[in-house]
Amino acid sequence: MTSIVVAILVFVALGALFGVGFYLNQKTPKPKGCENLTADCEGCRITTCPHHPHSTEGEKENA
Amino acid sequence: MELLSMAIAAILINNVVLTQFLGICPFLGVSKNSKSAVGMGLAVIFVIFGASLLTFALYKLVLVPFNIEYMQLISFILVIAAFVQFTEMFIKKYSASLYKSLGIYLPLITTNCVVLFVAQDNITQGYNLIETMVNSISVPAGFMLVLFLFSCLRERLDSADTTASWRGNPVALVVAALMALAFSGLAGIV
Repeated sequence: MTSIVVAILVFVALGALFGVGFYLNQKTPKPKGCENLTADCEGCRITTCPHHPHSTEGEKENA
Repeated sequence: MELLSMAIAAILINNVVLTQFLGICPFLGVSKNSKSAVGMGLAVIFVIFGASLLTFALYKLVLVPFNIEYMQLISFILVIAAFVQFTEMFIKKYSASLYKSLGIYLPLITTNCVVLFVAQDNITQGYNLIETMVNSISVPAGFMLVLFLFSCLRERLDSADTTASWRGNPVALVVAALMALAFSGLAGIV
């Protein structure tokens, strides 16, 4: 029983750690001159990746 | 001596890209030029080393004492994802030059399965702390070596007279296969 409680606590704690890290990372501004850096990535099959050419093409179209 | 053999084996013989086919996404995606390849390689070394130490500590100090080893996979994924977020934030805040050279690759590393592989491998192989540290530097060093060599080859391929249907990824994959064959010739050195 204790191990199940600890397992849930570990999961919640790590999930919260990631959530806080993600939030703080998004909040932290990029340094000057680094706002439009691109990874020069040709693109793999992970189309949700922000560096995938499809995403950047979409951004250009929206702009 | 054993640690040296382990490092050489991880870099050259059991290379994570060419023998285990892990990390193929950045291997093909960020090998267009050698500068990007070196930046990606350095970022991967840093993240794998840090994430492996954290996951090793979590496993030994929390998961084993409470008999919740079955949480290994999910907890390692969360640790790696959180570590990447905090590293990116720290670099953004305190080192603009480092962010310029490495920061852009950090989000890509979260999806790099090599990171999770090394963290899991350290546990399944039963490595101690020193062995974990050596393995966690050697495996990404092998990744960086292959990525850099491949990027140099791709730069040459761009200027080569390749048939239209082979241009880009098809010929790159053939080159990767030839590299895997070449690396398999090093199998007897350790």
